[in-house]
Amino acid sequence: MKEPSTSFDHRPDRELGAALRAALTPADPAGFVARVRAAAERRGAPTWDILARWARVGIAAAAAAAMLAGFLTGRALQSPLAPEEVAVMSAGAGATALLESPRAPDASVVFTGLVTRER
Amino acid sequence: MRSDPPSQLPNGAARIAQGDEAELAARARAGDRAAFGTLVERFAAQAQRVARAVLQNPDDADDAAQDAFLSALVKLDQYDPHRPFGPWLMRIVANAATDRRRRRSVRQTEPLAPELAGGGARPDRETERRALGERLRAALAELPERRRLAVVLFDVEGYSHAEIAGILGIPEGTVRSEVFHARRALRAMLQDWKEDA
Repeated sequence: MKEPSTSFDHRPDRELGAALRAALTPADPAGFVARVRAAAERRGAPTWDILARWARVGIAAAAAAAMLAGFLTGRALQSPLAPEEVAVMSAGAGATALLESPRAPDASVVFTGLVTRER
Repeated sequence: MRSDPPSQLPNGAARIAQGDEAELAARARAGDRAAFGTLVERFAAQAQRVARAVLQNPDDADDAAQDAFLSALVKLDQYDPHRPFGPWLMRIVANAATDRRRRRSVRQTEPLAPELAGGGARPDRETERRALGERLRAALAELPERRRLAVVLFDVEGYSHAEIAGILGIPEGTVRSEVFHARRALRAMLQDWKEDA
């Protein structure tokens, strides 16, 4: 054993270090490691897990929205409306009544309406 | 200035390589549980020893070391990857142990068995080793807390005076003084032990 030094020794004391290490080193480090890991798991989901969960939900929602949009688009393309139907639908209830009437329309009435609107 | 290069470490205890610590910390921060587990494995014994330098009861010390690891996991975004991981973690460990001691919720330390307290028969080597350990722990407990930490971090864990100054938040010159006084007391105890033997 070295005598107590009278000056500051800049190097570690190997003998004292070894004795202290033996005195302080735990008997079961593996058990402690397992304990810490389990505690980390129990402590709750860390931020990254929460973010990953949110990302999964977002991806699922986006996929569902894309599928719905695709379905609606495909359905619209399978049954296109004729140009006449589009014109009738946009003209409103008056035009529908005119086309569905069993009697031919009175031309004077029809054109009077148009002339009146232009004025 | 580093006062002790890695080649001068005590007891052949290799300082934990710093090369991949930053990478492991980054992976752990990104959610890699295995990386966190690797860091725990690497620093577990060191953290337990440092905590035991503050708290004499091993169960309390292990609780403090565990708290420190969990705290470090939460604070990983504060770790500077350009610096070694060990001193950063040991600062958290020392603070966790000190906080636990201050809360005074520590368990009572079992009194030494008469044959371990000194003067009794030493039937075999293992008993002798355990007895020396008990005597050293008792001698360590007599020192002020900061002195205990300084000597354990320097002579056992191989940290430099500058690193210990950072860990304990004290000037480097104070670290040197604390190590010196701790060594003087512990060497005297070891000398007595040898003479008794």
